[in-house]
Amino acid sequence: MSQINSTVVTRNTEQALAQPTDWFTVLVKLSPKLLLLLLVVPVFGGLIGVILPAFGWAPVLNQYNIGLQAFTALWQTAGIGQMIMLSATTGFISTFVAFVITLMILAAFFNSVWLARIQQILSPILVIPHAAAAIAVGFLIAPSGMLARLISPWLTGWDFAPHGIFPHDPYGLSIIVGLTLKELPFLLLMALGALAQPELGKKLRQQHKVALNLGYCPMTAFFKVILPSLYPLLRLPLLAVLAYASSSVEMPLILGPNTPPTLAVAIMHWFNDVDLNLRLKASAGALLQLVVTGGILALWLLAEKAIRAFFSDSLTNGKREYGGAYFQKLTSVITLLVVIFISLALVGLVMWSVAGFWRFPALLPDTLTLLHWQSAVMQMGTPLINTLVIGAITTLLAIILTLLCLESEQMRGKKVSGFISFILYMPLLVPSIAFLFGLVLVQQLAQQSLAELSHQSSNVKTVYINYINVIITHLLFVLPYVFLSLSSSYRQLDQRFAIVAASLGAKPSKVFFKVKLPQLFSAILIAVALGLAISFGQYLPTLLAGGGRISTISTEAVTLANGASRRTSAVYALMQMLLPLLGFILAWLLPKFIYKSAQR
Amino acid sequence: MQPSLQINNLQLFRQHDLLLSVNEQINGGEILTIMGPSGSGKSSLLNWLTGSLPSAFHTTGEVYLNGNEITNTPAHLRHVGVLYQDALLFSHLSVAGNIAFAMPASNKKQRLEKIDDALEQFGLSGFGDRHPDNLSGGQQARVALLRVLLSEPKAILLDEPFSKLDVQLREDTRQLVFEQIRYHQLPALMVSHDHSDAEAAGGKIITLAG
Repeated sequence: MSQINSTVVTRNTEQALAQPTDWFTVLVKLSPKLLLLLLVVPVFGGLIGVILPAFGWAPVLNQYNIGLQAFTALWQTAGIGQMIMLSATTGFISTFVAFVITLMILAAFFNSVWLARIQQILSPILVIPHAAAAIAVGFLIAPSGMLARLISPWLTGWDFAPHGIFPHDPYGLSIIVGLTLKELPFLLLMALGALAQPELGKKLRQQHKVALNLGYCPMTAFFKVILPSLYPLLRLPLLAVLAYASSSVEMPLILGPNTPPTLAVAIMHWFNDVDLNLRLKASAGALLQLVVTGGILALWLLAEKAIRAFFSDSLTNGKREYGGAYFQKLTSVITLLVVIFISLALVGLVMWSVAGFWRFPALLPDTLTLLHWQSAVMQMGTPLINTLVIGAITTLLAIILTLLCLESEQMRGKKVSGFISFILYMPLLVPSIAFLFGLVLVQQLAQQSLAELSHQSSNVKTVYINYINVIITHLLFVLPYVFLSLSSSYRQLDQRFAIVAASLGAKPSKVFFKVKLPQLFSAILIAVALGLAISFGQYLPTLLAGGGRISTISTEAVTLANGASRRTSAVYALMQMLLPLLGFILAWLLPKFIYKSAQR
Repeated sequence: MQPSLQINNLQLFRQHDLLLSVNEQINGGEILTIMGPSGSGKSSLLNWLTGSLPSAFHTTGEVYLNGNEITNTPAHLRHVGVLYQDALLFSHLSVAGNIAFAMPASNKKQRLEKIDDALEQFGLSGFGDRHPDNLSGGQQARVALLRVLLSEPKAILLDEPFSKLDVQLREDTRQLVFEQIRYHQLPALMVSHDHSDAEAAGGKIITLAG
């Protein structure tokens, strides 16, 4: 008996010793819970805030008739079938085409210097916001755009801009072109990132060599040896791309048709309509969007299974050559075309931003002027400051939270639970249009009750609340990317440095701040630049969570793209590209000057 | 009291498999050598002694340093220094910065003087402002040794400390490290593959089964 008692006592004292006492350890251990809270509450709150109004219950609108009226109204909308088809086809086809081109590039240039070069050329596209990319593509394929000018009048005989269907074509082809061009660099970079993992990358490159030695043509070797190991790592990015492409609003707003638009765009119009009762239909539409996106994801996974079953035998059929030389040339041509297309779009954008008078078939503007830049920059003050402030606060929060969570991983000696990583990627997989409305309704409800509580709702306060709402919403999209970008470097840190530092007497907080953070300096800067770029590019979250009162460069750019002059629109699109680019240039330059003070 | 590192009835398990059991006392200036194939639990033993054993392992037994139990003491309060086969110098700090990081807090001028003296003693005078990545392998090894010594440890662990150096350098560095361990009367535990290391250590040798 006394024996048992004494063991209990020792246990207790041991636990007391092991209890975290300093603030740093407490903060680190709490961080994963804080992360969950920040992600789960808005997304689930938002989904509930969509589901309830869809079934008729909306206290904000004084609507309490539970029923299916909203769904009935939704089905009676003219062209609803076309909207669904447009969303589904543009999302699926653009992802499929981008994926096929990604695979062709990887297969044709695996283990070649060209892979790195193509990556260098395409990766800046990643930081271009969707709206800016859409504006650039729209200018390029418009009847009076660069493409038409290049072939006129010598080939086409056009002396005046023809009546074309691009952009805004009813089939969504322009949307597909825009989305494909944006998704291609993302997928390629994700694949290269997976191949850059030290162990996996080395193993796969060696396996590729083995296949070559066994007489397999390089492209065949890629598809038969590398792809089966690589694909599982690409599945999540692919699903995220599919979810985004089938539900985004920027590209379809700028490049898509109006009668009818894609489902997501229609939902947004209903939600912003002066007739508040359309919000119920918008909520029902948001649920429909969830079903449509879910259906496309399911279709993709099904196709994946079918393809695997169909080709499983041919992996070991011994055939080493499937016209590799021909496909190699085809890939080079496609890659070249993509690069030319993108370059033309960018050059066109720059020329429009400084164009004075520009006759139709002329390849260059007749006169150049800086007037558009001057007047746009004059009006840009508030949106620019909003963009920077919101981006900076959001990114700072995301970086701090991510670092603390990764540190808690190392403190506990195991990775964050599968549940947390699932929650982390949820904002990328659930169409934002489906939960953002609900989130806005919840935020409005909270605001109303706050105002009733304090019996005053001054305008100043509302603006602050709008700011906070926008930041919380941006965080949903910034956090996953910052976490993705930092986690691999953090997990690859040589643990022995931390052990050495601790054995030299450094406290956990000192190890974190003085050893780990400096070692991660450039990785953190890259993550900051990425976080800023994601925040800068947000259109729908800013528009909705800000209650339309907070304008940023992105919201202005989209508004201007539909209507105002091409030249002003070009200036805003270029500003949208320049801001994130500046961030990345700083992230690349700063490590060369800081922490290198010791003599070389 | 004589300095000592005492491992009492250690049993180290991975999941439920017993990986190793050790029951040894190392007195100040003595070097205990542990040999054995990879996977025999050598590095887990070192991690247990430094207080950084991953949670996938569990242990019974205690460790005493100079008569005080440190089995559950946090890593940074143990005063157990460790040298790895890589020097693991912090590349965001200069050579002097690396050493200063390890020293107990005190007046800046005194610290700088102490660092200069120590560098000179180890044949590294004027290296304080250099970037550690630009030092030769032997120089890096000496800075790592200085760093751990100036942190005033009460015991030292050596994890294959010389295996990345070529033959001549290996002997010189080994001699320097062992001299310092004896001079400071530190109990030391070395993990090694190499029989010449074990012989040079001149202490007890334990060979673990695979």
